[in-house]
Amino acid sequence: MVFVLLVSLLAHADVVLAADKLTVYSGRAERLIKPVLDEFTAKSGVQVDLLSSGTTELVNRLKAEGDRTVADLFLTNDAGSLEQARAAGLLRPLNMREVERAIPPQFRAPDNAWIGLSGRFWIIVYNKTLVKPEELKSLLDLGNPKWKGKIAIPNAGSEYLQAGVSVIRATYGDAKTKEFLEGLRDNAGAQVYQKSSQIVEAVAKGQASLGIVNHYYVYRHLAAQPSAPIAAFMPDQQEGGMGAIMNVAGVGIVKSTKHLEPAKLLVEFLVAQAGQKLFADLDKEYPLHPEVKADPALAERKSFRAAQVPLTRLAELREPTLTLIEQVGLR
Amino acid sequence: MTTRLQLTSPLQLITLASAALILLPLAYVTSQALSADPAVWSRLWNTRIPELLTNTVRLSASVACLTLVLGVSTAWLVTRIEFPGRRLWEGALVLPLAMPTYVLAYIYSYLLGFGGPVEHVWQLVAGPQARIFSPHSYLGATLVMTLDTFPFVYLLSRSALLNMNVSFEEVSRASGVSRMKTLWLVTLPLMRPSIAAGLALVILYVVSDFGAVSLLRYQTLTYAVFQQMTGRSDNTAASILSLLLVGLALLFLVTERWFRHRSRFYQTTGRYRRPERHRYGRLGTSLVTGYLMLVVGASFALPAYLLIVWSLSPEAQATIDGRFFGFLWNSGFLAASAATAGVLIGLPLAYMASRRPNWLNLGCLQAAYAGYVLPGPVAALAVLVLCLNVTPFLYGSVLVLIVAYVIHFLPAGLQSLEPALQQITPNLEEVARTLGLGVRQTWQSVTLPLMRNGFMVAWVLMFLQTMKELPATLLLRPVGFDTLAIRVWMEASEEYYQLAAPSALLIVLLGLPTLLLLLSKDWRAA
Repeated sequence: MVFVLLVSLLAHADVVLAADKLTVYSGRAERLIKPVLDEFTAKSGVQVDLLSSGTTELVNRLKAEGDRTVADLFLTNDAGSLEQARAAGLLRPLNMREVERAIPPQFRAPDNAWIGLSGRFWIIVYNKTLVKPEELKSLLDLGNPKWKGKIAIPNAGSEYLQAGVSVIRATYGDAKTKEFLEGLRDNAGAQVYQKSSQIVEAVAKGQASLGIVNHYYVYRHLAAQPSAPIAAFMPDQQEGGMGAIMNVAGVGIVKSTKHLEPAKLLVEFLVAQAGQKLFADLDKEYPLHPEVKADPALAERKSFRAAQVPLTRLAELREPTLTLIEQVGLR
Repeated sequence: MTTRLQLTSPLQLITLASAALILLPLAYVTSQALSADPAVWSRLWNTRIPELLTNTVRLSASVACLTLVLGVSTAWLVTRIEFPGRRLWEGALVLPLAMPTYVLAYIYSYLLGFGGPVEHVWQLVAGPQARIFSPHSYLGATLVMTLDTFPFVYLLSRSALLNMNVSFEEVSRASGVSRMKTLWLVTLPLMRPSIAAGLALVILYVVSDFGAVSLLRYQTLTYAVFQQMTGRSDNTAASILSLLLVGLALLFLVTERWFRHRSRFYQTTGRYRRPERHRYGRLGTSLVTGYLMLVVGASFALPAYLLIVWSLSPEAQATIDGRFFGFLWNSGFLAASAATAGVLIGLPLAYMASRRPNWLNLGCLQAAYAGYVLPGPVAALAVLVLCLNVTPFLYGSVLVLIVAYVIHFLPAGLQSLEPALQQITPNLEEVARTLGLGVRQTWQSVTLPLMRNGFMVAWVLMFLQTMKELPATLLLRPVGFDTLAIRVWMEASEEYYQLAAPSALLIVLLGLPTLLLLLSKDWRAA
């Protein structure tokens, strides 16, 4: 017992002693974020400890740890989760000129407690040999029995599925959303995946004809395997349609951080043009800095419409969304 | 020996504290589940629970049937038939136990996956459009869990066959009953208790598995607890599912205990002779060897071969850097801490139960076996809930993770500690005392040296189990404490097969020593 206590003390001490070291809780796949953080370390000399885990899991963890947390920053893939963390008082409001200059206000919290870093759209990935783009229009059509056994979808725990369903609910109401989800559930059957990369892989192999993922997984796959027979379809662009569902990955500084200066340095790095370009080049996301261009392979940002649901609303929409998802019995 | 309660002795207090450490988390989860809003219960009953229960029971049942066939047939072959390399096969059949389920699962999701090697071969036979079953299904989960757990049945059947009094079989043969009929009418019925105990182990293993079902995306209760914990902002639903899971596991455990109890009736004393092994002709021998080759090949040799090939690929080699050794160090550090803590906590429990076997001490010991019915995610949830309510300042520290390990793996350690203590007769201690040694000196120079072996076996078993542990580590690890198991799971769940291989191979290699312990142990006593 004494031994165990010593062990835990040592582990804590280790964290406290390190001066120029930041601890980042990240809900983004390590593969997507570690290169960016490594670049920051190379530039600034500040070491970054990374804990990669599920987004919701990390919000739970931050809540539980309260002021004792070792985390200095919280980085994640869903504005709803960031807003929830802000509402729970876990994040620190920021007053930074660099942020306000770089990131348009609709992509950050009003008090800058969280800041969007990169945009992603929930799109339909389809196998070009199995599906023609003319067959696709709206996400909601994917509930149609004609796609039975042909769709790959993310599991119910994925934050961007939850955010996507929230946007659909806010646009069309619960009844229509429920109908859509039930259709989607039946069409997907057992093709429910934990990771978006698996969905893209399944569509590329023809195991599924189409899938719903964030756009950049498609372009990352194509960058690695240019001959893969897949393409991204930007849904809901028809006359009167809701527009493509957008979410942002973002960052917030944890309220109790003892390393405010290096933490601000990291935020500054991420919103600056150089940092934004990393998200564009490495991850194929849409940079939020208006002067940084997205990867040329992506659809021009001005060529399509985004759904008109403010990101900050994702948090309040979430609980009822989860209940609906559970009622429908998505896995 | 007195059975009077002496609540004030320090050892007694330590025993009570150890038992409390294990029972409190469970109590907290139970109370959280029972005090949950009935609406949450009814929502779960109407949506997830029927599917999860059916899936869990269905998987356990099919794996039990298949392991029964595989385990008993292989055990019978290596004990009753003589063929070249028999002793080698006898050992090789245990090897799959060194493969954690998540490693086998990820290898089979590659092998049987869409467009994978097996499908290619099948398409050569059945035409280019032919498809095989998906590994991400009931069938896939059944296959992987069967290959991974049949050695439990094999080990118990083998020791039953070795310890069985052969005169029963001889009488049957002498009365003119054919060899097959003897097997059916005499041998198998005699093995029934051991087989049942083996199957119960298999079922407990299947019910509490997280690694394989998560990678094969097969929805069981254990997997659902994990998903609820990571996907929802409160743990109520996870607690409810945990309670169901514990109930289900308890049911199996009680069944196993019952069979083990009955097995005492079957112990035969009297003259023991080695059973005579029958020799087949050339055809028979090659059939036997072919069958064993298939079983060991599918469950160990082929997967191990793939791991080696992948580990040698340039992509994998590039990941073997300072970070990789960091993960190795973390695994070793956590496992060593958990094993040490487990032995320290298990020792007073086992000691008091064997020296002062009153209801209190025996109860404490039974409590320590609760880990049997606590799958990893549940153990993690239990410790988490307790920690949040009682010691929030410890949340996110290594200590919490180690407590979860101890709760989860203490039964494995106790199984070696308990017999080790029982073997020492109290007379030896009493003699030491009459010769003038104090209590502490008696411990130091008599009791401890005598139990060193059981001690070490317990430590090694807990060390290696912790090394492989996945779900609790995923849920509770502090910053910078990624282990080898975590790396395997992270890479494999994105289907980066090569990148997962070096860590997986290392886990398998480190697991091999446990198998020696298993083979040398008398499995009827376990």
